[in-house]
Amino acid sequence: MKALWLAALLACSASTALACGEALGPGTQPLAGEGWQIAWRAAPTPIPVGRHFALDIALCAPAGQALPATLRVDATMPEHKHGMNYRPSVKPKGTGLFHAEGLMFHMPGRWELVFEWRDAAGATRRLSQALTAQ
Amino acid sequence: MARRGRRHAAAVTGADGAVRPWPALLAVVALLAVADPLPSPLHDDDIPRVLAFGPWPPPLQPDPSSRVWGQPAAVAFGRQLFHEPALSANGRIACANCHQAARGFSDGLPRGIGLARGDRNTLALHDLDLQRWYGWDGANDNLWAQSLRPLLDAREMGASLGHVARTVRDSPALRSGYRTAFGQEPGTDDERVAVDVAKALAAWQATLRSARTPFDDFRDAVARGDREAAARYPQAAQRGLALFLGRGRCYTCHLGPSFSNGEFHDLGLPHFAEPGRVDPGRHGGIRKLQASRYNLLGPFNDDPTRSTATSTGHVALEHRHYGEFKVPSLRNLRLTAPYFHDGSAGTLREVLRHYSELNEERLHADGERLLVPLKLTPQETEDLLAFLDSLNEKPARPQ
Repeated sequence: MKALWLAALLACSASTALACGEALGPGTQPLAGEGWQIAWRAAPTPIPVGRHFALDIALCAPAGQALPATLRVDATMPEHKHGMNYRPSVKPKGTGLFHAEGLMFHMPGRWELVFEWRDAAGATRRLSQALTAQ
Repeated sequence: MARRGRRHAAAVTGADGAVRPWPALLAVVALLAVADPLPSPLHDDDIPRVLAFGPWPPPLQPDPSSRVWGQPAAVAFGRQLFHEPALSANGRIACANCHQAARGFSDGLPRGIGLARGDRNTLALHDLDLQRWYGWDGANDNLWAQSLRPLLDAREMGASLGHVARTVRDSPALRSGYRTAFGQEPGTDDERVAVDVAKALAAWQATLRSARTPFDDFRDAVARGDREAAARYPQAAQRGLALFLGRGRCYTCHLGPSFSNGEFHDLGLPHFAEPGRVDPGRHGGIRKLQASRYNLLGPFNDDPTRSTATSTGHVALEHRHYGEFKVPSLRNLRLTAPYFHDGSAGTLREVLRHYSELNEERLHADGERLLVPLKLTPQETEDLLAFLDSLNEKPARPQ
């Protein structure tokens, strides 16, 4: 019986860990840091070079912390010292869900996709992911 | 082909190295990987990039912002308008004066001359439907707005909206062309008629597709895994292509079927249009775009959903855009000398010399750090010229 409870607890824990981004369906990319989690998925996929793409994003807060109402999305090429030529628009789509449009990797190479938001205390939080566009 | 690497990603890979390539490209790569190495300077991880330069020609891309795009009557009316000097203020300058078919629809001059001398080189007009931005500064986001611009520019055709509309209304031939193209007589709203004229001009120009080139034959041979056909592509051109994709880093901006990413970059060219007057390039272009009534967010877009206005709605105006100019297509360069936005390079050899001996001090301090002097050897210069020459269409262009 004890083993069953443990299995149920582990299953529950795994379910919680997988929960962020479930609303977006399969095929999301995970990011995590300091208890915050992001799951994102691009459209189209694979992300083409020189064409616009959009992102569906799920942001999940650590237990007990409120979700922000807004999220900023950007991308830069660190080696080239420049960002995109476009400023993405991000629309909230429900609790922790966002849709970003207007992104474009206009060059092949290494890009850093950046997500930024403010927590309930006003501190800026940031998660990023390195991507290579080819 | 030589083995430089075993990864063949054709799009985006994650930081974890997980590769999500295009299945079709993987098949091609696998086919070539099992074949004997080609006598080629190219590496097998260049293959996805080579394939991305085609196939050619692509079909006409739709433009829902113009209700007459692709319609034969509008195409015919646009051709008629293109050769009509009465549209200009002095009745002597047609679009075709500066956009000459035998010169790839450019004029062979360093800077265009209409009613007065302009600041920039006359751009060629082929493959326009594939472009996101029009003009060296990208001040227009659609081809009909770009076609209206020279009609109204005081240094080009110098007309007014009223002059253009009156010319169409008063000419039996143009009035008939308008009626056939738009299904009604030209109305009394001068601006509406002038924009329709521009939409007909755009409908015709969009049909100016450049023909296939020797490079396209090579690219398709690679796609088929046809070693014999691929080997017919000159070795010098193959070495030039390898340099283009490799050390030269030309591919960073000149990519895709048009050999352009459609965006803007600072090449370290002089910033002055004339002594004491700076050409702001892309920075000025974005400001003009955002102020224009004729952009895709404006009232003359025939597509109520604004489905093609993503770039216009999201373009960012930043200081780094000063001195940036459009990355041009590399197809048919043989016809369109001189080169660069200011026509300052008379030959392709001079263009390559610019990249070889680049003056880094002229690059904007807050701009990208992409360009470095290539220090090309004489052989490398010849190889790059051979590659660029292979991007010229094979048959003579119809007049």
